[in-house]
Amino acid sequence: MSENSPEIEDDTGSYESGLPGFLGTIDEWIARIEAVMLALGVILMAVNTCVNVIARFVFGEGLFFSGEINRILIILITFAGIGYAARHGRHIRMSAIYDLLPVGGRKALMIVIALFTSLVMFFLCYHSYGYVDTLQSRGRILPALGFPIWTIYVWVPVGFAITGIQYLLTAIKNFTSRDVYLSTGVVDGYADTESEV
Amino acid sequence: ANWRYAHEEYEGDVQDVFAYKFKEYIEENSDHTLQVYRFGELGESDDIMEQTQAGILNFVNQSPGFTGALIPEAQIFFIPYLLPTDMDTVVEFFNESKAINEMFPKMYAEHGLELLKMYPEGEMVVTLDEPATSPEEFSNKKIRVMTNPLLSETYDAFGATPTPLPWGEVYGALQTNMIQGQENPIFWIESGGLYEVSPNLIFTGHGWFTTAMMANQNFYDGLSDGDKKLVQDAADFAYTEILEHIDGLADEALAKIQKASDKVTVTRLNEEQIETFRARAPQVEKKFIEMTGKRGEELLNQFKTDLEAVQNN
Amino acid sequence: MAMTLMLIMIGLLLLGFPMMIPLITAAVVGFVMMFDGFGQMGTFVQQMMGGIRPASLIAVPMFILAADIMTRGQSADRLINMVMAFIGHIKGGLAISTATSCTLFGAVSGSTQATVVAVGSPLRPKMLKAGYSDSFTLALIINASDIAFLIPPSIGMIIYGVISETSIAELFIAGIGPGLLILVMFSMYCLFYAFKNKVPTEPKASWSERGRSVRDALWPLFFPVIIVGGIYGGIFSPTEAAAVCVLYAFLLEFIVFRSLKLGDIYKIAKSTGLITAVVFILVAVGNGFSWIISFAQIPQAILESVGVNEAGPVGVLVAICVAFFIACMFVDPIVVILVLTPIFAPAIQATGLDPVLVGVLITLQVAIGSATPPFGCDIFTAIAIFKRPYWEVIRGTPPFVFMLILAAALIIAFPQIALFLRDLAFAD
Ligand code: NA
Ligand code: NA
Repeated sequence: MSENSPEIEDDTGSYESGLPGFLGTIDEWIARIEAVMLALGVILMAVNTCVNVIARFVFGEGLFFSGEINRILIILITFAGIGYAARHGRHIRMSAIYDLLPVGGRKALMIVIALFTSLVMFFLCYHSYGYVDTLQSRGRILPALGFPIWTIYVWVPVGFAITGIQYLLTAIKNFTSRDVYLSTGVVDGYADTESEV
Repeated sequence: ANWRYAHEEYEGDVQDVFAYKFKEYIEENSDHTLQVYRFGELGESDDIMEQTQAGILNFVNQSPGFTGALIPEAQIFFIPYLLPTDMDTVVEFFNESKAINEMFPKMYAEHGLELLKMYPEGEMVVTLDEPATSPEEFSNKKIRVMTNPLLSETYDAFGATPTPLPWGEVYGALQTNMIQGQENPIFWIESGGLYEVSPNLIFTGHGWFTTAMMANQNFYDGLSDGDKKLVQDAADFAYTEILEHIDGLADEALAKIQKASDKVTVTRLNEEQIETFRARAPQVEKKFIEMTGKRGEELLNQFKTDLEAVQNN
Repeated sequence: MAMTLMLIMIGLLLLGFPMMIPLITAAVVGFVMMFDGFGQMGTFVQQMMGGIRPASLIAVPMFILAADIMTRGQSADRLINMVMAFIGHIKGGLAISTATSCTLFGAVSGSTQATVVAVGSPLRPKMLKAGYSDSFTLALIINASDIAFLIPPSIGMIIYGVISETSIAELFIAGIGPGLLILVMFSMYCLFYAFKNKVPTEPKASWSERGRSVRDALWPLFFPVIIVGGIYGGIFSPTEAAAVCVLYAFLLEFIVFRSLKLGDIYKIAKSTGLITAVVFILVAVGNGFSWIISFAQIPQAILESVGVNEAGPVGVLVAICVAFFIACMFVDPIVVILVLTPIFAPAIQATGLDPVLVGVLITLQVAIGSATPPFGCDIFTAIAIFKRPYWEVIRGTPPFVFMLILAAALIIAFPQIALFLRDLAFAD
């Protein structure tokens, strides 16, 4: 039997904002809120689903609003998570060609990638705000919980905005420093032989 | 122009037949073309409704049951024993009813939708793991329902345990006895093979699966008078055709089912047995009024008046 | 329009953009072409939200969470020790134990990456010490982890089931046969490798040691009972089974084994949430993308021009396998399922293929794809946790990929490999 693992790994444990001063403090607080939303979202989802199963056994009937709660949580997790993933350089990408480039090329390409991604995120932020606005005017409600559907979508534009800001900061970070950065806090991972300090 | 039409069923199902009859009339009597999208091609029921409101789609076919999040009153079709059971009276009801032909169009119009036709698809049939003829025999049966509070109330009233479940899991859940029954029109029970895993068919006569076909209102209002007439005529044509189509469809589907499986039992409740279920309906009506308020109550009363009118004929 | 969208996607993909960007950009261009501007972008957002709406998707984070708790606690190690105690001593035993552990752990884990971590971390050092080359060891670990994708639960199957409206319960059980087939094939290759390279055998465990290992592994062995027994016994839906696994894993690791502290649950849940978000944003934008190609009737046009409709069922299956294999070389498996399944849907319907069989083959292809270069999430996971260079990780893969393709061919030739258990479980 293997020994107990002493401390479990937490590869996104710390986050240091690339922003200076007061803005950096705000950014770090946003990161903390995102982390809490992620963890709490997953835990609540597990609890909600389990309680529903148990209710089905004990009372012979599930909770009719359980499905809608999970629907709310999944939106929360996804849109709190995209910003958090951007901070920690965790979005999935195919980097085979990118990795072959010399440092200068990677840096230039990463700036292009980060700027364009940021632009796309702000674009989606704008249009998802528009969608939420339309939904509000149409008055659609959640059948079981009874409150307006648009309220569960407010995280969508917020998540896109935060992700957009993260990529914008990544571009700036790459402009202003010597290394190549995947995100404001993460130096380009493998092929890390040439220039990193 | 090229018009777009989405519905919420598969190829060959009633809504699909309706859509293609509508298309046939439009394309034969004008230069317009019609593109039909079936279930899942453009998303779920709610999605195609929103797309119609946004003007991407010109026409949409959606069951009022699904429209509940938008027009709560449309759930009236889930109230048991509100519609007559025999086909001829139902057709007459849909033709004559003031509630259907005057009150509903106004409610749809509030949401930017021009209601063109409401029509019945088929009688709801309950399938169970054993035959049943009374609410007592429904007790402790988990019966799958669509996610809709009023429909849940109906099965609650019938003594069963309503269990909301996505359509994709229904067959497997019946097979493993996670649920003991479900309700659907007979042709779905046939095409979905549900009788294989839930072989006892019970004709409770409690309701008809009803659906509605509508257009985006801005689009419709912007049509020339000639095109408006074209659309109305096409809807009338498809309506006439669909009534012919569903007449006998249920019998055909039942014959197919009985040919495919000898485990199938058919129970048709008699008047006395129906009465024991009908006695539970007021609970659902009360819930409906609770959910829809004064307007719902008016609609319900009009439904009952209309029903009396056709039944006295 | 199909061509434009494809070029945009491939271009952005190869440049190394985050995978959501090629999908979003192609979709937005599609919307602009279809509606002459940005006027209908609301529908794109609507479809993104529609993509993550299905209740069955909840099973994804739940299975990730359960596997994560097990990996960080003791359950995974206990299972591996039991396998080792029984077959560690035969020729090629360590390698075969690795493949078998992947299969067994796969009965709890829904993802290939979690399996790479859980099985690879403890067994790779042992294999290296025993004399297996590192390239063989790494290739075995990342490819045997594919088995975890076929043995229920499987994230790939959940996502395929959700978008093709196929029963996840049936998909799950149909994956068992192919999973075991691959285990047998890999084991034979391991045996052959051990003979050829004269790898010495390990000492045999005594019966008392075996007894102890079984006793230790007894609790974790209940996971497959919960999942398979629970779903086919009519107790749970797949989603509920996933949540019950979480509850069970929690009870085991926090209360029975006391291997984790309550505070750890926060870190584990956060990590699960992060993985979920990264996958679900792809599910969301993938759904938006498939809406516009469906609206523009592109699948029908493509299938017609390629002539798939005339190819018959076997032809369609082969076409599906080839398309998924190639796409998975460059794109994340989830994205491939999201983009290609709707394209093939009309052909699957037209040829009357069993959607469960199609689902199993697609799952196998995307599992293979997670270990095929240049893009493979298992490759990246292996690089990250074993700290080995890219080339070293992929050097030994060709024989394994060949065997996996053979397995796909066998399933096409003998669909009963997949469908036998399904028909048995769902027989009347
Ligand atoms: Na698995
Ligand atoms: Na790959």
